[in-house]
Amino acid sequence: MIQQYIDSGVLEAYVTGSASDTEVKELLRMKAEYPEVSVALQQLEADMEFLALNMAVTPPAHTWDKISDNIDEIMLRESRELQQFKQPEQQQEAPAASGPTYIEVEGASSHMRIHKAWRWVFAAVFVLGKIFLACAIYFYLENRQAQKQLIKLETEIKQLKR
Amino acid sequence: MNLREQLTYNEASLPSVKQAAQELYTNYGAMLLGYITEVVKDRPAAEGYLADVFSGLSTGDIYHIAGTADGSTYVRLQQYTRKKLVSFISTTDDCANVEIKGNRLIDLMNPEQQLVFCGLHYHGKTIGKLAGELNKTDEEIRQILKQSFNIIRSNRK
Repeated sequence: MIQQYIDSGVLEAYVTGSASDTEVKELLRMKAEYPEVSVALQQLEADMEFLALNMAVTPPAHTWDKISDNIDEIMLRESRELQQFKQPEQQQEAPAASGPTYIEVEGASSHMRIHKAWRWVFAAVFVLGKIFLACAIYFYLENRQAQKQLIKLETEIKQLKR
Repeated sequence: MNLREQLTYNEASLPSVKQAAQELYTNYGAMLLGYITEVVKDRPAAEGYLADVFSGLSTGDIYHIAGTADGSTYVRLQQYTRKKLVSFISTTDDCANVEIKGNRLIDLMNPEQQLVFCGLHYHGKTIGKLAGELNKTDEEIRQILKQSFNIIRSNRK
């Protein structure tokens, strides 16, 4: 059965890149399961390398330099894009010729992050603020009432004196 | 340091990607140029495509091609190149008119074997498409392809 599979030509189709996705999945499973398939595949890959060596054409000497320049250019572009993504606007001033130099440490973000424990402090401050406000209103009204009564008493005393 | 150790997915690894690409180029550049030349039948254009293929290798591509000791690195590089060439060009219909000259292995194949081998290997046709063109079954195409490989192997040993 394994030999039949090997002889079917599926392995040759795989190494030439013409096997279907289903055939590739099946082949990888068979390769993992049966060493004979793995060995047959290695032989075919060696055949492909042998053919390629027979047809090899040495590239001109400058070809790698061109590729190297292209890769450098791509890397530089990607690096710039990455830099722009990370730090949109960060310019550094030239350091002074002498004396101490200062480093800008302020973050670009306008937000700040604090520890979660602070939420209880903020809640307590909010509740206390409400209590003080209620007290202030209460004593203000009390005071106003007292003032009115005082004025009323003074008026009555004046009337009695007459 | 081998290719697998060089390849790690971080920003600092970019120079090592270039080293890995150079190692692939040194080992397989000539073999790949021979392959591309047969596909496009134009030496200067093939050199341009070779440069494009190696320039476009990403970390993931190199990891896929050279990051495992299992199987042939060249075959994976060639398959990657074939996919790239399909996106670059669309000359997948000229096997019948173009001969592959100057290679004794291909010369040993009969015209039918050459047609099948050329169509699948150099022009990226599917077995189904080729079977339709040659009025044969998929099974027959696979057997002709197998015969082509038998010729290559008999000359390798």
